[in-house]
Amino acid sequence: MARILVADDSETILLLMRTRLEMAGYAVDTAGDGQEVLESIADNGLPDLLLLDAMMPRMSGIDALRELRSAGSEIPALIVSAHQNPGDADAPTDLAIDGYVTKPIDFDRLLETIAELTA
Amino acid sequence: MAVIGVARFIQQRQDFEDAIARSYQVEMVARERIASGAGGKAARAAVAREGQHRSELRDQISGDTRDTALLVAAGLIAGLTGALLLFSGLISSMRRPLEELVDAAGRLAAGDRSARVEVGGLSETATLGAAFNEMAEELEREASQRDQLDRLKDEFVLTASHELRSPLTSVQGFAELLMLERESLTPRQLETVEVILDNCRHLVRLLNDLLDLARSDAGRLAIRPEPTAVAPLLDDVVRTMRAQTDAADQTLTENLQPDLPLIEVEPARIRQILVNLLTNAHEYCPEGASIEVMARAVDAEVEISVSDDGPGIPSEQLERIFERFTRGDAGLTQRVGGTGLGLAISKSLVELHGGTIEAESTVGRGSTFRFRLPLAPGAAVADGPGRAPAEAS
Repeated sequence: MARILVADDSETILLLMRTRLEMAGYAVDTAGDGQEVLESIADNGLPDLLLLDAMMPRMSGIDALRELRSAGSEIPALIVSAHQNPGDADAPTDLAIDGYVTKPIDFDRLLETIAELTA
Repeated sequence: MAVIGVARFIQQRQDFEDAIARSYQVEMVARERIASGAGGKAARAAVAREGQHRSELRDQISGDTRDTALLVAAGLIAGLTGALLLFSGLISSMRRPLEELVDAAGRLAAGDRSARVEVGGLSETATLGAAFNEMAEELEREASQRDQLDRLKDEFVLTASHELRSPLTSVQGFAELLMLERESLTPRQLETVEVILDNCRHLVRLLNDLLDLARSDAGRLAIRPEPTAVAPLLDDVVRTMRAQTDAADQTLTENLQPDLPLIEVEPARIRQILVNLLTNAHEYCPEGASIEVMARAVDAEVEISVSDDGPGIPSEQLERIFERFTRGDAGLTQRVGGTGLGLAISKSLVELHGGTIEAESTVGRGSTFRFRLPLAPGAAVADGPGRAPAEAS
């Protein structure tokens, strides 16, 4: 069973994500910001996939992923963006990102993508 | 000088007339003496002398008059020349500042809000220059305030639609969660969740449209064009729309010219335009209507059109159809789920691609929206049945 670490600064979104992902059979860890993502990984090791909100206080999902990448990690990562076209604002070209998820979330598509990335 | 000349001339004339009068008086006395027989040789000599004297006076005065006239003329010329010299001096000292003013006004009109003139020179041009600078200053202040307001407005719309997306994600997400457990819902609960989801989708459309327009206004609506095949893109959109048109018993047909050349567009954006146009046709047309999507190569562009045989658009509405929040017949909008922004955005998007869009409609007969898009670099226009006749060159 693949393990997914989800980060979002909204408790409600985390609850929604956890519910939908657990219903689809995944194990879910949650984090409230990028700092907590790094702490969770330090404590529990790398999950199979990261699902990170692009904009969070303290440390964004982009910045957390940048730290992980510069430490050599190649973990699959999806960035959740509130932008309609994530490429507009949240798309750093120098960072390896496996996909973007826009809000509101199309869960059918998200689950398909996750299935591909964790296969 | 001329004035002195004229005064002298008047004095001379007066002296001359006095002298003539005196001469006549002397002659009259002499003639009276001759007539009374009292005169003699001396009286006759006086008559002759006075005649001679007057003749000399007249010669002298005409000479003086000529001299004086010359003098007056010379004075006038000198005066005029002086005035002219003075004036041309004035002109040349005004010309530089005036030229500068004209130049600055031109730059200001062309949008250079920093256009100013150097204030100096004659007091008149200095005043003019100062007034111009003051006006330019005011314009610049107003323009920068307007720019700032525009930026604030754009920022606000961008931020607001961004911030609204998170709670909307939760509302839609949890409503979907309920739908996943629909077997355990009562019919009324199911209906309630469906209403919530419908409204979520409407809000998302509204947010996306507002965001697009705000980006477009801010000059931040960017497209990433790539060589794109027309037919698969249209097929895909038509397939997506068919569920809705089928539900309304509407006929949706495709009529594409074979071998259309590649177009240089961002596929997602063209899809967005087509969905807008097809959704409009679907929503404004009654059940059983026909909707047709056509594409053909015209000159160096591909023309895509969406036609329907629906109620049509009155000409006064048609003129404003691409303006935001312009919608068809208010009686219909209750049923129509659009945001009133779709056509405004479609127009922005088509123009962003370097294309054109137009609408044509006859009330009672139907409407056609057609837009043209540029070909991909190097894409050849294949000869096909729908192609416009080649122009003689």
